[in-house]
Amino acid sequence: MKRVALVLLLLLALALPAAAQLPPNPAVVDPALFEEIGTYGGELVLGLSAAPRSFNFYGVIDNNAYTVLYNILDPLVAENPATGELIPALAERWEVDETGTQVTFYLRDVLWSDGTPFTADDVVFTMVHVVMNPNAEGNSVDRFTLGGQPVLWEKVDDRTVKAILPSPYGAFTRVLSHALMVPKHKLEPYIAALNRGVEPGTINQAWTTDTPVEDIVGTGPFVLSEYIVDQKITLKRNPYSWRVDPEGNQLPYVDRLVYLIVQDPEVMLAQFRAGEIHRITITGQNYPALKREELAGANYRVLTGSPVSPTPSPPHLSFNWDVDDAEKREIFRNDKFRQAMEYTIDRHRIIEDVYNTLAIIPGVPVLPANKAFYNPEIEKIMRPYDLDKAKELLEELGIVDRDGDGIRELPSGRPFELTLTTAVNVQAHNDIAVILKNEWDQLGIPTHLQLISSALVGERRSAGEFEVMIEAFGNQPDPQLRKAIWQPGRALYYWHRSTMDENQQPVLENMVDWERRVFDLFELGEVEMDVAQRKAYYDEWQEIYADKVPVIFIAKGMELAAVSNAVGNVFIQENGQIIGTNYTAFIKQ
Amino acid sequence: MARYILRRLAIMVPMMVLISILCFAVIKLQPGDFTTQYLTDPRVTPEMVAQIRARLGLDQPAPLQYWTWVKGILTRGDFGYSFAYKRPVQELIWERLGWTVVVAGATMLFSWVVAIPIGIYSATHKYSFLDYFLTFIGFIGVSIPSFFLALVLMYLSLRLGGTAVGGLFSQQYIGAPWTWAKFVDLLKHLWIPLIAIGLSGTAGLIRLMRANLLDVLQAQYVVTARAKGLSERVVIYKHAVRNAINPLISLLGMQLPELISGTIVTSIVLNLPTMGPFFYDALINGDQYLVMTFLMFSAFLMLLGNLIADILLAWSDPRIRFE
Repeated sequence: MKRVALVLLLLLALALPAAAQLPPNPAVVDPALFEEIGTYGGELVLGLSAAPRSFNFYGVIDNNAYTVLYNILDPLVAENPATGELIPALAERWEVDETGTQVTFYLRDVLWSDGTPFTADDVVFTMVHVVMNPNAEGNSVDRFTLGGQPVLWEKVDDRTVKAILPSPYGAFTRVLSHALMVPKHKLEPYIAALNRGVEPGTINQAWTTDTPVEDIVGTGPFVLSEYIVDQKITLKRNPYSWRVDPEGNQLPYVDRLVYLIVQDPEVMLAQFRAGEIHRITITGQNYPALKREELAGANYRVLTGSPVSPTPSPPHLSFNWDVDDAEKREIFRNDKFRQAMEYTIDRHRIIEDVYNTLAIIPGVPVLPANKAFYNPEIEKIMRPYDLDKAKELLEELGIVDRDGDGIRELPSGRPFELTLTTAVNVQAHNDIAVILKNEWDQLGIPTHLQLISSALVGERRSAGEFEVMIEAFGNQPDPQLRKAIWQPGRALYYWHRSTMDENQQPVLENMVDWERRVFDLFELGEVEMDVAQRKAYYDEWQEIYADKVPVIFIAKGMELAAVSNAVGNVFIQENGQIIGTNYTAFIKQ
Repeated sequence: MARYILRRLAIMVPMMVLISILCFAVIKLQPGDFTTQYLTDPRVTPEMVAQIRARLGLDQPAPLQYWTWVKGILTRGDFGYSFAYKRPVQELIWERLGWTVVVAGATMLFSWVVAIPIGIYSATHKYSFLDYFLTFIGFIGVSIPSFFLALVLMYLSLRLGGTAVGGLFSQQYIGAPWTWAKFVDLLKHLWIPLIAIGLSGTAGLIRLMRANLLDVLQAQYVVTARAKGLSERVVIYKHAVRNAINPLISLLGMQLPELISGTIVTSIVLNLPTMGPFFYDALINGDQYLVMTFLMFSAFLMLLGNLIADILLAWSDPRIRFE
């Protein structure tokens, strides 16, 4: 009997997919990602809202391509999906020297999915010729350029790579977590700098949607198996995957990962309900119906997670400091005015009415769940809903109803009216706009709503053609990654465009004092390597933003997902966050 | 006849040139270009946008861009390159042509096969109950937007326990080799687009067929035919229908471009892997050569469809001669 069991066990071990091909030093993924140890087999089916434009991570700027490719490619340093902390990925460990300008990476001994060893050459190739190649459409040149000087990459030996920074760079490892490694042996022929007669930009034509799937190799948990144009992408397990669960089983658990391409969100929801798709992201509007069905015994569960990721982007309110009307321009630039307007925003009501209570008070804009950067001081600074205070401040500014017609006049005597612009196709923004309009109308500031398509909103914003706007930008874990928005003088600091010249370079003399300070804080935070000191800089930035309210953050929607009960290891963690990666999910038998 | 066809084909050349200029002008008149979508992306720096514009030639004057595109077609048969997909546009269109033609062809076949007999029946049984009933259905078909009908059908299918919502296949059959089960699965999915897209066309055709036939049935030659003692079958099918169907043949020619453009919104709602949604995205994103090639292809089919309709008309109606 015992012998039979032993034979069975042996057979089982053989049947286990590719266990023999584990690298010598596999990485055990964070136990926090598991509810239970999974079983092998089956396929996980997810939805994708549009076909990827390419399978080249650096050839396109396309979120759908990124979604697929994050299963296939790995960075040197990754973000832990459970905590957001940086953890070793293709680099087993790394060291920063005492000057803060030399970072040495020790690479993991792994193979590409076609069996070729991953080496230091791949890292140098990826960084120098792809990530920092200005002709690659999805490049990250700006993230690896400091004060005009590029980061240099040097191969020390096959397993060791050194990065030489022009100056210390606090967010270096964080930005590196977005730089996925690509194989030199596959992509070298597309690089103009390495081949005579190859045009610059040819790299973008590598790994397009018609490339044979065998040529698209990676180190991630999955590899591409099949692409049916506009319908379906199938990935299969990478036999050389280097991730294992806490019991040493090679991940992923599922045999195949399938993305069904479904453009219409309603159809995606219908397919989820029909059991075709295992897991989807839902909105606050869908939540009540799905929850009801769950309680009535449907074969799926709805998860409400506390916000940790950049999306859904939290909406904010902005006033155009460069609006044509000179008098309004003065008003909008006055801190007191914007503070008065913050008092008119009833965030709790918005959370209740607009989000079905599925939202939280946002940070400014660092999320409360972001332990590394959140500054709790801002909670004391943010102004609660208080119309009396708002009126008081408006009166101090001379915005008073002098002729008794119920409409407040500007100091010049003109009636004070506002035009509030937002995207008509974003339901939450529309609803918030209506609530604000009612509030302001009653306050004696007649407000006109301008609800236009989001593309037009983008244009108005870039052209500075608006008075008041509701917009939304995501909140990344590290503020450095969003300096293009929040640092004055940058491309997306749209409410005060005159801080930027026509070459889109910052103009310091056009910034007010606290904007100058914010500008400096971002510059300081960028080159600081000391974690505590970096946090101090960004703490000060958050306090300034909370007090001076260049933009007023309104709410942050919770992360909502619905997942089939057939899928294991997708759950809510103790801190309220949704956990569930494609390589730890498994199909229950 | 051959000379006529040749002449018509020759006229198509300047027509296509004019259409292409017009299309390009309209594309250029819309605000923004391919890079506009990146202006709002915090990951994309202004330098990157400038780089992309320069690489794609979008910083050149519009007439020069047009000329470069036309030159590519004339000298190399190259219809340009998709900004989004980094691939030649003709390849991208070719990849999607198959399913597009299958779906559009099937719906067209569906509406013609259903509409013509019903139209004939309605006309020959004027003011009967079934005539009223079918005319009523026809009115509903004309007035309901097809994307809405698609949603209703999907909802009903889901409520009745069906799982065939959207797409042409269940997940496991997408890309699988053809089997009987896969074909059955296709039929399970295909009926929704057939009805949703086809119904409005069907309804229009029924009304047209009915009206035409009623006109013809009044004609003196029909009275003569009946007086001669011909059977009703011969009177209707050999004499009346053959004359009544002429305007519909012209219509058929006009429908040829619909084979590729079809109904965009309905295809998005039904998640069909056809050209419609693909074209829509290209239009939204300012993927200009893809849009141009698509429009040119559509215009070409329109001209070709008209020519084919004229030839068919000559064949079916001896009164029409070209010389």
